[in-house]
Amino acid sequence: MKKILTLLLSAGLVATATQAVSSPKEDLEKFRMYYEQRFPGIQLDDFGNGPYALDASKRLQWESMEEFPPYEDYIDKGSEIWETPFKNGKSFASCFGKDPSKVRVKYPHWDKASSQVVTLEGDINKCLKDNGEKPFGWKKGKIAHLGAFLGYEARGQKINVVIPDDPKALEAYEEGKHFYYAKRGQLNLACADCHIQYPGHRVRGQLLSTGLGQTTHFPVFRAKWSKAAANSDGMGTLHRRYGGCNKQVRARPFKAQSRQYRNLEFFHTYMSNGLAINAPGYRE
Amino acid sequence: MKKLITAFGLALLITGCNATTPEKPASMKAQYEVALKNAQAAVEKAAAVDGEWRDIRWKKSKKRYLPSAIKAAEAGDYKKALKLLEIATFQAEAGYKQAMEQKNAGPRF
Ligand code: HEC
Repeated sequence: MKKILTLLLSAGLVATATQAVSSPKEDLEKFRMYYEQRFPGIQLDDFGNGPYALDASKRLQWESMEEFPPYEDYIDKGSEIWETPFKNGKSFASCFGKDPSKVRVKYPHWDKASSQVVTLEGDINKCLKDNGEKPFGWKKGKIAHLGAFLGYEARGQKINVVIPDDPKALEAYEEGKHFYYAKRGQLNLACADCHIQYPGHRVRGQLLSTGLGQTTHFPVFRAKWSKAAANSDGMGTLHRRYGGCNKQVRARPFKAQSRQYRNLEFFHTYMSNGLAINAPGYRE
Repeated sequence: MKKLITAFGLALLITGCNATTPEKPASMKAQYEVALKNAQAAVEKAAAVDGEWRDIRWKKSKKRYLPSAIKAAEAGDYKKALKLLEIATFQAEAGYKQAMEQKNAGPRF
């Protein structure tokens, strides 16, 4: 009897120990400290440059690419999309406010009324629908062009995701956090395995970036996506990239803007609070 | 003695033959139908905990074990269909198990 009690008790202790959740603030402190200790020479904002912050020769290639960045045309296209009135005469400004530089920094955020994480892409398509327009595709094309423009306008502002002290918001945050650390797919790998354990190492010829700063430059122009596209448009959203990283561990990717990816974005972007927005970015 | 051996050999031959005679299409079909139900249930169970793997049925996978099995069965190749269902079921069960094991996954540095 005594034995059983001890067993039950210790099992209970273990259960509470693993369930004790740290606050978002504590999570962020530990997350950032880990990278700062691992890569002591790197300035906080520089983590937003992904692999180029970690490797000198890659950085040189990238810097020369940035002289005439391939995403420039898409910023212009995005600007046009922003300016072009809808059929009803209104425009995106009627949803987002007149100043395009003040949009990007508001996302993602918790929406109390609908009890869910709202993303920039989600609100872009909501604005279109509310105005009787056809929504854009979720992962590339116009949604990424407009995102590139709004990101460019917001360059230099600090990421500032707020996790309200609301049980439902915390639940969404926890789900996103769990997603980042849970192993999945046939290869049994978590986001954390590659982007926390192995940043700076190579996977199939690609240099792994740090989880810190991974969302600051989205949407991104990827050379790989450009090569695969008939019109060589290499722009893509954060959720497009999430899908790619799920696929490569042979897990079934979730839909762009699914609850899973929105909650992941909530956690993932919060982890980069305080870093400067540097969208759109260029990546291999 | 010789006779005995021949009889024995014959018996072996018969049983041996029996074992390798391909099963009648009808029973293969029945087997397939059970296996398909099992596979589908396993896949739904894995999907319900966000543990589904890429190659079971996702539209852009090159393998798509589950839909490929159905296709093979429609073409009458039950042997192939059963093999594919076996893989789909294994992967679905493994994905479910993985998700359960990862239930408490959290920050680790
Ligand atoms: C097998 C290792 C691996 C796993 C697991 C993995 N990724 Fe990646 N990820 C990569 C590689 C390789 C790249 C391209 C190089 C880079 O930028 O890190 C990449 C790139 C990214 C990028 C773009 C970074 C940038 O600077 O543009 C994001 C965002 C990202 N991953 C998020 C995730 C998330 C979220 C998960 C979990 C769902 C995940 N990754 C899981 C390997 C992985």
